[in-house]
Amino acid sequence: MAGREAVKRAVQQVRPILSVDREEARKRALNLYKAWYRQMPYIVMDYDIPMSVEQCRSKLREEFSKNRNVTDIRVIDMLVIKGQMELKESVEIWKQKGHIMRYWKESQDPKPTDFLSKFIQGIN
Amino acid sequence: MMHAALSQSTLQSPLPSPLLIDELTMIRAPLVKALGALGSPTHQIASRAVRTSAVLAQTPAKAPEKIEVFVDDIPVQVLPGTTVLQAAAEVGVEIPRFCYHERLAVAGNCRMCLVEVEKSPKPVAACAMPVMKGWRIKTNSDLTRKAREGVMEFLLMNHPLDCPICDQGGECDLQDQAMAFGSDRSRFTDINYTGKRAVEDKDIGPLVKTVMTRCIHCTRCVRFASEIAGVDDLGTTGRGNDMQIGTYVEKLFLTELSGNVIDLCPVGALTNKPYSFVARPWEIRKVSSIDVLDAVGSNIVVSTRTNEVLRILPRENEDVNEEWLADKSRFACDGLKRQRLVAPMVRMPNGELQAVEWEGALIAVAKALKQANGQVAGVAGQLADVEAMVALKDLVNRLEGETLVTEADFIKGAGIDVRGSYLLNSTIAGLEQADAVLLVGTNPRYEAPLVNTRLRKAYVHNELQIASIGPKIDLSYQHDNLGADASLIKDVCSGAHAFSKVLEGAKKPAIIIGADLLARSDGAAIHATISEYCQKLNKPDWNSFNVLHNNAAQVGAFDVGYQAGAQRAVDAKPKVLFLLNADAGKVTREQLPKDCFVVYIGSHGDAGASMADAVLPGAAYTEKQATYVNTEGRPQQTQPGVSPPGMAREDWKILRALSEVVGTPLNYNTLDELRSRMEQVAPHLTRLGQLTPAGNNELSAKVTPSKSINGGPIDVKQKELRDYFMTDAISRASPTMAKCISAVNKQQRLNEQSKQSVAI
Repeated sequence: MAGREAVKRAVQQVRPILSVDREEARKRALNLYKAWYRQMPYIVMDYDIPMSVEQCRSKLREEFSKNRNVTDIRVIDMLVIKGQMELKESVEIWKQKGHIMRYWKESQDPKPTDFLSKFIQGIN
Repeated sequence: MMHAALSQSTLQSPLPSPLLIDELTMIRAPLVKALGALGSPTHQIASRAVRTSAVLAQTPAKAPEKIEVFVDDIPVQVLPGTTVLQAAAEVGVEIPRFCYHERLAVAGNCRMCLVEVEKSPKPVAACAMPVMKGWRIKTNSDLTRKAREGVMEFLLMNHPLDCPICDQGGECDLQDQAMAFGSDRSRFTDINYTGKRAVEDKDIGPLVKTVMTRCIHCTRCVRFASEIAGVDDLGTTGRGNDMQIGTYVEKLFLTELSGNVIDLCPVGALTNKPYSFVARPWEIRKVSSIDVLDAVGSNIVVSTRTNEVLRILPRENEDVNEEWLADKSRFACDGLKRQRLVAPMVRMPNGELQAVEWEGALIAVAKALKQANGQVAGVAGQLADVEAMVALKDLVNRLEGETLVTEADFIKGAGIDVRGSYLLNSTIAGLEQADAVLLVGTNPRYEAPLVNTRLRKAYVHNELQIASIGPKIDLSYQHDNLGADASLIKDVCSGAHAFSKVLEGAKKPAIIIGADLLARSDGAAIHATISEYCQKLNKPDWNSFNVLHNNAAQVGAFDVGYQAGAQRAVDAKPKVLFLLNADAGKVTREQLPKDCFVVYIGSHGDAGASMADAVLPGAAYTEKQATYVNTEGRPQQTQPGVSPPGMAREDWKILRALSEVVGTPLNYNTLDELRSRMEQVAPHLTRLGQLTPAGNNELSAKVTPSKSINGGPIDVKQKELRDYFMTDAISRASPTMAKCISAVNKQQRLNEQSKQSVAI
């Protein structure tokens, strides 16, 4: 009885957010990537950030690569939606310079992981 | 009405007047019982009072037949002699009380515990009345409630309405019980305050603040002083409305246990002087911890607020401290805020210590360690915790050093290989059952005040016979001083001395040796002689061999394999010497080689830090989770209540970080990993709160001493109260402890002056 329920739950169909199959999700992600890629020169210019277009594009690639292991179509769709929102905000200059620069995390110190650096910083 | 109630109750009190107190003080329970048979009503009640607590203390050999009583119609079987209050407690009914306290004799003078008993013409005082067969006790009837309201009204009639400025506010028995059992409306009409009783405050020392107008005459403090502390300084004068608690002549009430009257006082008459107007109970955070200022390991509650330790209260633990706490443990907590090391320091070429960052300090120490070529030694002081000692041992061993010692001296040579040879084997709670005790070179009153209260308890209730070898000292109970000559030990242990007969005839004899005594050159011989004699005294379930330590770290250090005596570390001529909380000044700069690099790890700037080349600030016992083993071998852990000040770190972490900078990282990163390492070293160390029996100390007895007992007269370090207050880095930094010493000195000057004037 319990086994049957588990199987039922596993094969249960979920409502798609946007894409119905993997291929469609992939296309959406690629489209988003392309849109960002093309927008980069304008972002560098509009926001006057001390970064080159190449640096920005490599950061873009890095941000996408972070989620390369995501396989769930619904999650991919949701990430694409969020990416589009980010893009929209960037294009419309709803963001400010700091928001763009935040992708590089320059003012953020990495948390210490080994004993000695934790000791010296007084983090336990 | 108030007059009548109080004067009547005064008669029933076992301590009705200062005169009688004097008569009663040195009388022990059995004698009081005998007096009771003479028929004097006062003595009868007194004897019953003492006997009730004696019944609590020791279970009777043969249980007499139980009798049935009904508390609120719930039947309960109790032993004859049980009081109404105890019978009610057995079914879970709490009867309100002010004067009654489980560990003190029954006084029966507050009348708050009045309850109705069916067919009794008037309500009875539950705390003093033994139950009779078939009694139906009504703890919530109209009559009972009316009686309580009446008593409450009388108490409040003369009690000031100063709760908003009273330090007891929020933890006051009177406040709570007035809310729960008092009348819901006032009949108080004296709005001009003409008739309220006012009593002058008394100066009884720097620890206890008195506001005597708030006193409700429960006499708990008087009974505590005469029964538990054994100091008959407090008493009552006057009768009825004029009754006052006090010392009669103005003098200090300063004993090593005086702080306990603060906890006992149900109102705000006796409060904590250093803590006065500091905080309210609902603002503070409470952390259950362990005291480390003596080797008893008293359980405490540390009250903190805004990262400060505000006060320390005792926590109940029947096996260790009952519910008392010694004054040093309670009041030395302000030493935790002074003289603290807050940044690592390195000695500069010009000879001055300069504050540096942790990196700099660790690198400086690591450089010295690299050049030492294994000539590394470690000295653990009296406040060192087991975790840090294990880490230090591992570090020193990795650097191929061998010398690891405790700062305090103990037996020279072998003798600490067997655990039973350095523990208080009879256990602290066990000493209560002892019937003959010999103290050798120790003053438990100041070295371990809560062990002394156990001995006094046994003296009062168990006809304990006590003798001491050592200087003449006041132990707060009568004892035979056999003399100070060391050869007396041989006499007693050979069976030739008169006291040997007492020990051998006793059911549970105990010999308690002071740890300092064993540091003498003939310490090993004394240890072996007594140990051998104790083999003879031991009973199947009773180990009579006891060592009383002074330092919280000592037993833990021996358990993890430290040797005794700082001299060994000096003799090893180390290139690098670690001082782990070692502040007793046993190691001096002059004794060490010129090129020796001294590293101090500890919390306070005291003797150790002042001679060090590198100072690494550690945490005090209220700031770290650390294990300490008390003198009976019970591992207990402290809990952090506040964080270490400034850049100070937990001691074991300093050693762990240092090991990494040297290049041989210790293989534990967390406390749990360190604890499992401790378990490898000594498995009992992680069984917190449990006592692992040490087994027999036969092995050590077999080591026949080559030397005989030849040293001079036996002495103890702490003879008088003034020697008690400052014994370690924390209490030396405490202003309250300094005030205590000056108060004792002042009192002594006054006493001498008055003696001189009498002589003239």
